[in-house]
Amino acid sequence: MPPEITEQYLKIIFNLTEDGGAAKTTDIADALGVAPASVTEMLHKLDRQGFVRHEPYKGVILRKKGMRIACRVARKHRILERFLSDMVGVRGRSGHEQACKMEHALSDEAEHNLCRIMNHPEECPHGRKIPKCEMDIPCDKCASETVPLSDLAEGSSATISHLSSTDKDELCTLLSMGFVPGSQVTIEKKVPMGGPIIVSLKGTKVAIARNRGQILRVTRAS
Amino acid sequence: MEIALAGNPNVGKSVIFSKLTGVGVISANYPGTTVEFTEGRAKFMGMTVTVIDLPGTYSLAGNSEDERVATRLLNERRPHTVIAVLDATRLERNLVFLFELIESGHNVVAALNMYDVVRKSRQEIDVARMERILMMPVIPTVATKDEGIDSLLYTSVQMRRSSKFRVRYDSHIEAMISDLEKHLSEKDWGVPLRAAAIRLLAGDENIVKAAPAEARKASERLRDDFRKGHGEDIVVHIQRDRFGEAGRIAKEVMGTAATTRKKTRIAEDLTLRPATGLPILVGVLALMFVVLVFVGGIIEGVLVGAYEPTGKAFFNDLSQQAGNDIASGVIQGLSLSIEAMLALVIPYILVFYIMLSILEDTGYLVRVVSLLDGVMHKLGLHGRAVIPMVVGFGCNVPAILATRVMGSRRERLILAILITIAVPCSAQTAIIVGSVGKFAGAWWALAIYMVLLGTLVVLGLAMHRMIKFEPTGLFVEIPDMRWPSAKQTAMKSYIRVKEFLTIAFPILLVGSVVLETLMALNWLQQIIDPAGPFMNALLGLPAFTVVALVFGILRKEMALQMLIVLAGTSNLALVLSNEQMFVFALVMAVFMPCLAAFAVMLKEFGLRSTVTVALASFSLALAMGAAARAILSL
Repeated sequence: MPPEITEQYLKIIFNLTEDGGAAKTTDIADALGVAPASVTEMLHKLDRQGFVRHEPYKGVILRKKGMRIACRVARKHRILERFLSDMVGVRGRSGHEQACKMEHALSDEAEHNLCRIMNHPEECPHGRKIPKCEMDIPCDKCASETVPLSDLAEGSSATISHLSSTDKDELCTLLSMGFVPGSQVTIEKKVPMGGPIIVSLKGTKVAIARNRGQILRVTRAS
Repeated sequence: MEIALAGNPNVGKSVIFSKLTGVGVISANYPGTTVEFTEGRAKFMGMTVTVIDLPGTYSLAGNSEDERVATRLLNERRPHTVIAVLDATRLERNLVFLFELIESGHNVVAALNMYDVVRKSRQEIDVARMERILMMPVIPTVATKDEGIDSLLYTSVQMRRSSKFRVRYDSHIEAMISDLEKHLSEKDWGVPLRAAAIRLLAGDENIVKAAPAEARKASERLRDDFRKGHGEDIVVHIQRDRFGEAGRIAKEVMGTAATTRKKTRIAEDLTLRPATGLPILVGVLALMFVVLVFVGGIIEGVLVGAYEPTGKAFFNDLSQQAGNDIASGVIQGLSLSIEAMLALVIPYILVFYIMLSILEDTGYLVRVVSLLDGVMHKLGLHGRAVIPMVVGFGCNVPAILATRVMGSRRERLILAILITIAVPCSAQTAIIVGSVGKFAGAWWALAIYMVLLGTLVVLGLAMHRMIKFEPTGLFVEIPDMRWPSAKQTAMKSYIRVKEFLTIAFPILLVGSVVLETLMALNWLQQIIDPAGPFMNALLGLPAFTVVALVFGILRKEMALQMLIVLAGTSNLALVLSNEQMFVFALVMAVFMPCLAAFAVMLKEFGLRSTVTVALASFSLALAMGAAARAILSL
């Protein structure tokens, strides 16, 4: 894993070149709050390591190797910002600064789970696109780690991940019964002859028709 | 002063209601809906307090008809206090409902019901702490044992202020709420501004419709933005925050989560497993049947025995004095209607309703619904159809009303057709048992039931094929099994019998009077005579049975007595062979039960469907009768 400072530089260059073109040394210096001279020095180093291509007076662009790291860091940053803004209530400058520090400490697994918990956000609070992760599966399939409730065997437990329904009445009915993301469910019984699934949830038993069991996506308890 | 009872289903709301109120309980449909609510009066220190029992719902968001009615009742009646009935063993989910009530700005008193169960599981809820957190009175109650009911009423009457408690949503949502509040501030919403804003944000149609265009647009934009950012509807997050808050409070006042109880678990498991559940179901239905036939029969004997020398004698005298044929027909019709009510309503309908409400209140019926849901789907219905079917064994009139539990009109109609044709009501059972069962033997009676069961399956499959659609999926809470409360059972049965009487009695009265008048004028014979040979040829029944069949259209329970009168002997075996009795009883069982059932179908489904069903059941009854005759005479 490259040092934090490398990640930081690559991310800044990513931000600046996202809409095309090359990043100027002065802009990088501004964003980092350091002297342009030290930026130039660092850029040379990154060029040597093969992360970026630096052409004097033109600017700097990411190479493939640097792009991979930059994407990952920018992705973590923007997901963290989303998390801080929506779930913690820290927004603006402060959110950005904290995300800047946290992005280097966040493991890929934690990022992955955070992304899923927030249901694959596409934009950061500032309206920038969150880069895709490096997993082979597309986002809507990323839920493939989640399964429909009806796929679980009798006696197994799971955590509700999200509800895949567009019918608002249905959604609200399920929610108000307590089927909210994060709650624990146990399959008590699957009544034979195409009967419903009997689930226990927060100390209550609920019978759900099998086809409705498709709506509730869950992650299996380990 | 008015007090409303609100709460989730199965929390003992109705038991509290029955304990609070005494006489004057009425049950009404909310105008324009099929949702029922009950209303009664309580006496408190010389004051009359009206208690409204709202339909049990999980939310006030207005996403089902029940929820809409509950919200509308709260808005229209503006009760002095709302008692939130909470299930102490399921605090978390019940608190979420309480939050909605508080949010709506009502003066709320919480009844922490089923507190005995909490105590029994050696747990405790820190009620004082809960009161402090929620800033409102919380009263532990055990409704079934009358505990805490008095103080609940006392506190509700004294209640003067609403709680200042607020659920804090995540800051993103809070920002949206205050944004919308600005747009909504000019109008009185009947609920606090914050509640109106939250409902608008969640897309509650009541608010959306009434909101100014600008606010509506703003909320739509916020919702869209939210969905883009999160890929999830905002209601998911609102509910998640509520459950999060509820979970925290529950943990704080309770320590650990409630553990499940053992004894009832075993019984529950048995009722849900087909291998044991189906035999239990058959056993329960058989028991109901036996109680209905024997206990009902005994009560009927006593009541009719008491009526003959008193009421009947009085009307007989009266009709003789009348001298005029029509007048005496009317009087006799009146007398017969009263007799029929005594012979039918109290022994059979009331007994049936008592058993039904016991099955409901113990939580058994919901288990049957779950057990049979898969099978019912194959007939184009869902498990909930079991309830109207069971009701149909008592009387088809309330059964047709009970089809309202079904989702769509089509499902309702399919179910109503199956019930009128293939589910024998108690009067039809009386005919089957009283003729075939008594004279030809139990096997013949059983054969009729088997034929009816076959008809049910074939007809259900056929209709499902013809009217193609996917029945809505079952989604229902399975409450713990528990003992029913005597008072609640009595109240429920009383309300239902009353509803039955208001629908059935006028029709019965008119039908009887018309019939008696026709007989008195000797016109009935002339109408029936031409049908005699036809019936004889088709069904192989003697001509006099035609009168009984026609009588059956108006008054099924009278058909058997009519047959006996016309046969001139109570030993039907002398005049009818076993096969003939079988055909007679089968035709009676398949044919639409009576005029009252016809009228209630008319009310629920309109003229065209009703006439179609009546004609179909009439032709099917004759066809099956003819087929049975042909097969039996082989």
